[in-house]
Amino acid sequence: MKRRYKLWCALALLAAFHLFVLFAGFFAPYSYSAQDRDLPYAPPIGIHFFDARGEFRVRPLVYALQDDAHAPGAYKVDKAHPYPLHFFVRGSDYKVAGLFHSSIHFFGVEAPGRIFLMGTDGYGRDQLTRFLYGGQVSLAAGLIAAGLSVILGIFVGALAGFYGGWIDEILMRGGELFLALPWLYLLFAVRAALPLHIAQWQVFLLLLAVCGIIGWARPARLIRGAVLSAKERNFVVAARTFGASDFYLLRRHVLPQTYGIILTQIALLIPQFILAEVTLTFLGLGVGEPMASWGGLLSSLQHYYVLASYWWMFVPALLLIPVFVAYYTIADELQEHLKSVPL
Amino acid sequence: MTSFGSAISEQPLVQIKGLTKQYVQRRPFTREKFTVRALDNVNLTVGKGTTLGLLGESGAGKSTLVRCLALLEAPSSGEIWFDGVNVLTLKKKGVSGLRRQIQIIFQDASSALNPRLTAGEIIAEPLVIQREGTKEQRRQRTLGLMEQVGLPANAERKLPLDFSGGQRQRLAIARALALEPRLLIFDEALSHLDLANQEIILELLALLQKTHALTYIHVSHDLRMLSGMTDEIAVMYESKVVEHKSTPEIFAHPEHAYTRDLLEAMPALETICRERLA
Amino acid sequence: MRYLIRRLAHALLLLLAISVFSFALLQWTPGNFFDAMRLDPRVSAQTVEGLRSQFGMNQPYILRYMRWAHSVIKGNMGYSFSYDAPVAPLLWVRTRNTLLLTGTATLLAWLLAIPIGVWSAASKGRLADRLCGMGVSALLAIPDLLLFLFLLLLAVRTGWFPPGGMLSAGFGRLDFWSRVKDIAIHFALPTAGLALTMLPVLVRHIRSALIETLESPFIRAARGHGIPRMRLLFRYALPAASNPLISLLGLSIAMMLSGSALVEVIMSWPGLGPLMVQAILARDIYVVAGIVIFSSVFLIAGNLLGDVLLFVSDPRIRVE
Repeated sequence: MKRRYKLWCALALLAAFHLFVLFAGFFAPYSYSAQDRDLPYAPPIGIHFFDARGEFRVRPLVYALQDDAHAPGAYKVDKAHPYPLHFFVRGSDYKVAGLFHSSIHFFGVEAPGRIFLMGTDGYGRDQLTRFLYGGQVSLAAGLIAAGLSVILGIFVGALAGFYGGWIDEILMRGGELFLALPWLYLLFAVRAALPLHIAQWQVFLLLLAVCGIIGWARPARLIRGAVLSAKERNFVVAARTFGASDFYLLRRHVLPQTYGIILTQIALLIPQFILAEVTLTFLGLGVGEPMASWGGLLSSLQHYYVLASYWWMFVPALLLIPVFVAYYTIADELQEHLKSVPL
Repeated sequence: MTSFGSAISEQPLVQIKGLTKQYVQRRPFTREKFTVRALDNVNLTVGKGTTLGLLGESGAGKSTLVRCLALLEAPSSGEIWFDGVNVLTLKKKGVSGLRRQIQIIFQDASSALNPRLTAGEIIAEPLVIQREGTKEQRRQRTLGLMEQVGLPANAERKLPLDFSGGQRQRLAIARALALEPRLLIFDEALSHLDLANQEIILELLALLQKTHALTYIHVSHDLRMLSGMTDEIAVMYESKVVEHKSTPEIFAHPEHAYTRDLLEAMPALETICRERLA
Repeated sequence: MRYLIRRLAHALLLLLAISVFSFALLQWTPGNFFDAMRLDPRVSAQTVEGLRSQFGMNQPYILRYMRWAHSVIKGNMGYSFSYDAPVAPLLWVRTRNTLLLTGTATLLAWLLAIPIGVWSAASKGRLADRLCGMGVSALLAIPDLLLFLFLLLLAVRTGWFPPGGMLSAGFGRLDFWSRVKDIAIHFALPTAGLALTMLPVLVRHIRSALIETLESPFIRAARGHGIPRMRLLFRYALPAASNPLISLLGLSIAMMLSGSALVEVIMSWPGLGPLMVQAILARDIYVVAGIVIFSSVFLIAGNLLGDVLLFVSDPRIRVE
């Protein structure tokens, strides 16, 4: 186990991401809908350990931003007004995991100072805050949709592989049907069929359901294969000679052989579905305002002037990369591990 | 057919009449159907307390026959009688009861044991499935069985891969004995073992046969091995039983061409057997 | 031959299923033409009913489906509310644009993937392979969205490429070659981006298929005969590895209408993607259904083509 440091690194990274996102209220300095109309498209504010006089400070500071008179729309750092960075500050109210209230934030600066570590968008909303809250939607979308697909896949694959015959034929043909469909366009089509004005969370759930329903085909096929080969193993045959029921055989002997495949499929499907949600929301067809989602954060990049001038709006997209790399690494490591497990 | 079993039996334990098994397969790409005949009107009897050798080359139908006997496959037609009971007409409850009485030991012990379970769990599994005894009672029985087959008690928590090939077969035998069966079928179970291990296990089996009044069917293509431990030998060739005699008779007066070919291929064998059985 | 007939029957079945799905989509989308009419107080209920029966709207679903399917086959795919024009010609133009993009991108991706995959497989485990592997993994991990946005940024910042669109203003006044150049310079970036997104999956599959073939005994025998490396790779190993690759090719072709939605929207290429997005937002349901049908038909045809190619190339299938 120690040799698989890549796997552990990836898992640690994902755990960190999910932790920050889960406790978005705590780690983000502001609320996700707080707007600062005076500071639209502000660049990221740096943290300085050396003050204006060149002295080192243990408690770093942040400078205020002022409108730059020479360049309309741009900002200038105002060294005359430093704001020290504090930890565990009182800020806006939020709910932890939807259960209890708190207003302690991990870090912040006193008003009217602002700390925008990832800059702001067109409405003056702190991008870091929106990234953390948006992660709740996007990461959850990936997890839930992948979970749905795999659960359906297990069900179908186990039935088809274990019982064979016409059950197998019908289920696999159905699976081929789903694999043959252009899933992105199908998703679009379902979205089109939904009334435009239903609640956002309902859109979210429906899209997840559709992703789950579309995505079961490939895991089902792989699980079916594993079940087919496991079914013929002699220890399963032996258990049958002891009078084991089908359910017992599946539970005790056959399905445990599929755990590796299941985990790998989950690791591959999660990034796919995260990307699906991000893409849909980016195009304006997914979860809308005011729910933040990573796709929503990136959608303003469709405008040239944003794309060309405000580089920090790219950062959420860049932060997607480590998440994907982590999931793909996990999938690769799992596949390696599967190959080396003795039969 | 005469029976030279160690116990003169009134009614044979196993009677197979006219067993036929055929199945339909499809060619890979064109999906045309064609019929494969694995068993063709097979007749066989096995006396109580005897050991029958089932001889034949690969594809002759031996495995299919024993699988039908162990109720792992359904034959296309024919009858199987076990201790006076028509096996194929049994309902679910009867089948469950019958399963306890017939057990198979497979050729490859590693594949017959779930690599993720410990030896103790493997041996106790039949008891768990049949819901016998409490956990403690099962454990006691497991330890008893391990002792009978000659496995050390500390092996209880080990995984199959910690055992040698011969030990794994013994594990499989212990498991098979858990439900106190009456018939044990060895499907080429000793072929993969080296001669030393074979001898050890054959001795063990002979002992168990006496103490538990077991009936054995050994499926094999190794005539030499069968000669040492069977009372009768049935020869299968191309899905049929072509000869069924007591072991000395087979060696003395082989009738079917295939049997004769086998014996001729091992000329020294005849002399060994003549010496042994004379 | 039986194999082909089976695959054809299968494809037709899929087609049927897709048509039913599209029909269902059209029927049960809330807010259709006649509901709006019914709400309009100027139109009497009788007129609406009369129109409905004229359009066959009060017949049982089966009959409606057959009428609809019949008209679709004849080429009439409905009417677009937002473009105020029949759907079919609109779709054809857009499909042509999309195919231009994806066709070139697919070709480019395959032309790059084969040498890279083969080389990677041939130098398995060594530096070249590991570098390729890392490159492929990196490419795989970059979300398509990011790649396309980045390319757009490149265009905007450097000015070497136009920032999206297919034609420049004043296209009509250009002569033939200038027109070709204009289109080419517009589609360079989207095509490159699309090819890059297709590349990693192709390279991975080609590499693994080839590695499996290279380890087989007959290759070892050929090597023992002294056949030079290049020839060995391309004339012996690659054809033997072609089964999974032909299926992959079928899949590539099948994805040609549906894989480019994102890049078209981001780079404002007038293909099916932007049309779909607009149609959804405008609830132009006939366009949506039409696009689903088009892309599904393409996908099914592409898979069928893959099956046919497999049949033609692998004698084992023919002999059985």
